Amino acid sequence: MLGFGADLLWADMNRLLAFLFHQGVLDEQFLQLQQLQDEASPNFVSEVVNIYFHESEKLLNNLRGLLMEKELSDYKKIGIHLNQFMGSSSSIGAKRVTNICVAFRAATDQSNRAGCLRALEMLEHEYCYLKNKLHELFQIEQQRALVAGVRYPVQNQ
Amino acid sequence: MLLCLEKAKVVAVVVGDIGVSTVVGDVATSAVCPLEISMLLCLEKAKVVAVVVGDIGVSTVVGDVATSAVCPLEISMLLCLENANVVAVVVGDIGVSTVVGDVATSAVVGDEAFAVSILLLCSLSGIVLRFSASELSPNDVVAPVAHMAPSRSAADACKGGTAEFPAGLRVLVVDDDATTLRIIEQMSIRCRYRVTTCTEATVALNLLRERKGCFDVVLSDVHMPDMDGYKLLEHVGLEMDLPVIMMSGDSTTSAVMKGIRHGACDYLIKPVREEELRNIWQHVVRKIWNENKEHDNSGSMEDSDWNIRGNDDIEYTSVADEAEVVKAPKKRSSLKEEDIELESDDPATSKKPRVVWSVELHQQFVSAVNQLGLDKAVPKRILELMNVPGLTRENVASHLQKFRLYLKRLSGVAQQQNGMLNGVPGTIESKLSATGRFDIQALAAAGHVPPETLAALHAELLGRPATNIMSTADQATLLQASIGLKHSHAEHAVAYGQPFVKCPSNIGKDFPLSFLTANDVSTGYGAWPSSNNTMGSVRPNNSVERVGTQNNNILMDILDHQQRQQPQQKQQQHHQQQEPLIHDQSCSINVQPSCLVVPSQSCDTLQAVNSSASVHQNCSFGRNAIIDYSLLSQKSNNLVSAAQFSGGDTKARSVLYTHTTPSTCSMSSINGSIRQLQNSNLTFGGARPFPSPLPMSDRQDPYGLKSGDSFDQVCLRNIGFIGKGTCVPNRFVQNEMESPVSDFSQMKVNVDSTDNTLKEEPNFINIQKVSRPIVERYQSCDHSSVFTE
Repeated sequence: MLGFGADLLWADMNRLLAFLFHQGVLDEQFLQLQQLQDEASPNFVSEVVNIYFHESEKLLNNLRGLLMEKELSDYKKIGIHLNQFMGSSSSIGAKRVTNICVAFRAATDQSNRAGCLRALEMLEHEYCYLKNKLHELFQIEQQRALVAGVRYPVQNQ
Repeated sequence: MLLCLEKAKVVAVVVGDIGVSTVVGDVATSAVCPLEISMLLCLEKAKVVAVVVGDIGVSTVVGDVATSAVCPLEISMLLCLENANVVAVVVGDIGVSTVVGDVATSAVVGDEAFAVSILLLCSLSGIVLRFSASELSPNDVVAPVAHMAPSRSAADACKGGTAEFPAGLRVLVVDDDATTLRIIEQMSIRCRYRVTTCTEATVALNLLRERKGCFDVVLSDVHMPDMDGYKLLEHVGLEMDLPVIMMSGDSTTSAVMKGIRHGACDYLIKPVREEELRNIWQHVVRKIWNENKEHDNSGSMEDSDWNIRGNDDIEYTSVADEAEVVKAPKKRSSLKEEDIELESDDPATSKKPRVVWSVELHQQFVSAVNQLGLDKAVPKRILELMNVPGLTRENVASHLQKFRLYLKRLSGVAQQQNGMLNGVPGTIESKLSATGRFDIQALAAAGHVPPETLAALHAELLGRPATNIMSTADQATLLQASIGLKHSHAEHAVAYGQPFVKCPSNIGKDFPLSFLTANDVSTGYGAWPSSNNTMGSVRPNNSVERVGTQNNNILMDILDHQQRQQPQQKQQQHHQQQEPLIHDQSCSINVQPSCLVVPSQSCDTLQAVNSSASVHQNCSFGRNAIIDYSLLSQKSNNLVSAAQFSGGDTKARSVLYTHTTPSTCSMSSINGSIRQLQNSNLTFGGARPFPSPLPMSDRQDPYGLKSGDSFDQVCLRNIGFIGKGTCVPNRFVQNEMESPVSDFSQMKVNVDSTDNTLKEEPNFINIQKVSRPIVERYQSCDHSSVFTE
């Protein structure tokens, strides 16, 4: 019964993942991430993603701060932030966020303030979406782990 | 250098600025270092004594084991281990000694501040140790022991290796992005690397400095707030010589190119995949391999040096010549120049101020190179762009050469030197290290001996038929050269009546001061002054240099080309046919003087000896031939005459003969072919010199033109070479950039043998007149060769 629940959760996870892949929110780099998770670091994916959220929120705040300045924005600094954002997003496989970063950077290259602001909003939106979906995913994961954790001892007995 | 030993004791003494010696038990090794190093090391049994003098040298003795090394960088390093262990010291850019148990080894390493790493083989323990210069620091007296094992694993791997090699690779990952860092860390762990992570570049750099030798490879992000990844890359490249892999989300070609230009051995696009990370060990191994190769090369170089020197000992019959050789080193000490490798085992090498390529300086250099474009970057232009006082063209040339090698190494491209010098003969062949052959080739590389001579030698030694070689590359460069000449020629009409004047005028455009004065003086004397001779031949080359983007290389190519044509002259006896043609095209003035000059030599040799005679004429002729031919091709004959006529003058003769004389003296004992070879070398030297031509003529010029400092520099520069005869280090093979050096070496010969030359001059003069018809014939044949081309 419990094992069956775990399988269900597993299926839910896969469905959600498939959905995210289908939407282009995630790409295969996320699978790479999952493959890196092993016994030695069982929570690797959530660990990394949490680091990513932490860093990204800092970056987004910085970006917003820079773009909201009355004076001419420091595009170069924005570019550096975006590079980092791009690097980390691509590393966890956040495809859409990465793509928006690319567009964002193109806007900074052209010193296109309006474009930058638009891109920032899109970025924040995408980021929130990603965050929600990944949280959802991790919750299912946690449940599944719980269920599985209960199941194995039962089997052994 | 003093070296003494008692049993079970180790004594090593370095005296003056020359050498290092290490003695262990009955085994002694020594290395030579050209810097101001004094080092004293003594030991009593079971005691350890180490003395470092200044910031230069290090010696370590433990029990029965002693090591010493010399370092010109600000590296003082002391390393000692317990008996029966390994002691190894590698220092800066010059010397290395290693002792293990009863076995001692020492090596001399390249000459620049590009952190040098060396693979040392300690035969006793059978352990291959790899230290890079920076891996050891004073702080690391004991610590290195811990480092040895892993680096050994890397070294082992390149020898065919342990099964688990990439495991344990010590990786330093630097990225300001914690997410990426964590992911790469995890990947590295999965690859079983020993990974260290760092979010700040400055911290990473400090870490690298503090724990030198603790890392095999560095992975660095490009964009970091505290320090640009490229900056870090450069620091690491210069200070620790570690392979650095850049990574960035920025996949634009320009970004990747920038990374490569700064010396990255790889550039990973984020997201970095585990597969890529799994493969990075290859850069470590490749680096070790390359260093290994360099090491081997230097070894074979020494061998060849030795061989050639041995030959010289046999061949030198003239006492006077040897005296000259001995004199040379003294002059050398005043020389400011930095080719240490060449004379690395020359005990007479002495101190030279050394340019320390700081990161800033290197940065300037790199930006200059980038501005020019890597292919078009020549030392002269770089120097101009850098505009750093005190920096010489040679410094830049040497650094450029290293930079190229460095880039090549990093990019993993094993191809031969880029197009710059592909025309230089002997470069490829001289790589062959079969000794019998090697000598010849080395000679060829050094002096750019005409192929005919080479061929003759080959035929003699190896029973091979002599063949005429002409590479397309040569032709291309030649073409270029001729274009350059054309340029310089524009004014030939003006000087028409007076060859002398004209010659100067042509060049005057490009080289205002010194040349003009020289010419003025010579013209005053009416006849065809010697200065003209050298200048005539040299000038076109110089102008080429000015005009073209490439420097001396072209010159050499021309010369080579010219020499290659000589065989053709011989083989194709078209003299008669061509003669009228030549006369028609060129002014009478031009032809006449050249006739005078050439015959003198040719007659002399011709009548006196058998085969060698022909060589002589060829040689003397060859230099003129170049000019003729390039000019002729453009149908401006005037200049040709200018260049050639000068030979007719007394002074000119002195120059010419200087060239030939030494060869006869030194080589008289040898057979004809060798003599040939020598001659051609020497003549070449005369024709080729880049800055020196003027000064040279000055020196020998009775009129007492003042030769600048450059003269001494130039002449003395390569004394080491001369002393060794014509031994040409492998270096030429690898670093064609050095070509100017070879020129100088020949120059120097000229100077040294001046005395001899002078004595013999009278003879030549006499002969000269007699032989005129012959000369003309040669001339024609020369032209013919051109035409046939």
